[in-house]
Amino acid sequence: MILKLHNVKMRYPNGEGLELVNFEMRNGEFVYLVGPTGAGKSTVLKLIYMEEFPTEGYVLVESHNSMYIKNKEIPLLRRKLGIIFQDFKLLEDRDVFENVAFALRVTAARRKEIKKKTLRALAEVGLSHKSRKMIHELSGGEQQRVAIARAIVNEPFILLADEPTGNLDPKTAVEIMNILEKLNARGTAVLMATHNYELVNHTSRRVVSIKSGRTLT
Amino acid sequence: MIANLVFFLKEGIGGLVRTRVAGFVATITVAISLVLIGIFLIITVNLGRFVEHLRGRVELEVFLDDSLDEQKIQELADKIKRFEGVENLTFISKEMAIYEYKNLFKDQQQDYFEALGYNPLPASFRIKPANDYRNAVGAEKVFKYLTSISGIEEEDIVYRREYLVLLEKYNKVAIAMVFFVGSIVCLSALLLVSNTIRLIIASKQRIIETMKLVGATRFFIQVPLYIQGIVQGLLGGIIAALFLYALIQVASIGLSGFIKVDWRMYLLLLNFGILLGLAASFAAIRRYL
Repeated sequence: MILKLHNVKMRYPNGEGLELVNFEMRNGEFVYLVGPTGAGKSTVLKLIYMEEFPTEGYVLVESHNSMYIKNKEIPLLRRKLGIIFQDFKLLEDRDVFENVAFALRVTAARRKEIKKKTLRALAEVGLSHKSRKMIHELSGGEQQRVAIARAIVNEPFILLADEPTGNLDPKTAVEIMNILEKLNARGTAVLMATHNYELVNHTSRRVVSIKSGRTLT
Repeated sequence: MIANLVFFLKEGIGGLVRTRVAGFVATITVAISLVLIGIFLIITVNLGRFVEHLRGRVELEVFLDDSLDEQKIQELADKIKRFEGVENLTFISKEMAIYEYKNLFKDQQQDYFEALGYNPLPASFRIKPANDYRNAVGAEKVFKYLTSISGIEEEDIVYRREYLVLLEKYNKVAIAMVFFVGSIVCLSALLLVSNTIRLIIASKQRIIETMKLVGATRFFIQVPLYIQGIVQGLLGGIIAALFLYALIQVASIGLSGFIKVDWRMYLLLLNFGILLGLAASFAAIRRYL
């Protein structure tokens, strides 16, 4: 087991949050976290990368427990996770290579290692030929691929994807899904939050439903 | 370690270029604030210097009776010098007085002294008060001391009492104005800087978010931001110093070099700039970290 949310309740100051969330993930698993907008999917992901903390229950990510983790340990946890967002969260003022390398630079990696790993991650998402392009020169699908390359460059054991295809056309969305499937096939666990029921209706993967802050399955 | 240092410097200095409009506007804002503060400092310092200059011209003149012999004059001089409020004393003999008079009125054709057949001008002591006594109250103390000396009468002493009183009055008004204008300048600078901080915060929000997301430690996030703040403040300081230097050069042409600016003021502006930059970075870090 690499991830566990146990009787998690979480309340934001505006009263919204999670009522009761329970689920676990095993190593290398691909899980869809599905629910309508506002159900609490993003909050679950934030709890996993410990941007937010439960008001009751606990979150266990590998050996890091939300009840005991110290502030200075959170960056170390995040280096083991890959996070992808619907709006990509790329740095517009840097080129593709620098966006991906950035995740390594902040971990004080060596130059040689940064170059090697960055080029490998870009090859993985099929963007080696665009490494010196600026972000605004890329299509939406390409930008999301840069975000995926940045997420995997540190070789995480799990990818957290928050509506990664939400801003993309169906064809590009399929491309992104194929990349996530490929990464999963290589052993990286994937937890993908989505409100696209069509997508999950045709999958053989495990689906965790969330509604009004409660997990249903 | 060296790789880290290179990263910090590249991120810090590069951050300024990357933020583009926000970075440029923030730097100019810091520069404008510093120019305002600099102008205020120059006015304050030079006003002080001007008042000191006027006070430096204050002297008391004691006219001596023609009947006093050399020994008696020397005794009087010794007594006057003894007072702590007296910086120095110059003896003006009758001959020197007439020489000065003729010099002063050399345009006049007629020689009245020739017509009179004798020198009516008395000898005198010109007394320069000590530094602390070059004001209305201090000069009055010197005056009082002089009248206490036997052989010197009140009517023998001449000094520009009204001039000093007026100088004090105008100086007080000027100080009040400087404080009033200074408060407005500081308030404006504060408003400008808080605006700068908002700009910097907005421009750094994305990078801080991304750094946190990919697992950067607080140290790794903070150092480049502080470097950027320092560089931004320093640049603002340099722009302000150059602008003020040029302004003073232009102003000096009209005021024949009366305005003087110590090089330390420029140094002060650079330090102020760095401080403002650091404060802005500190605010950004506190807000988003």
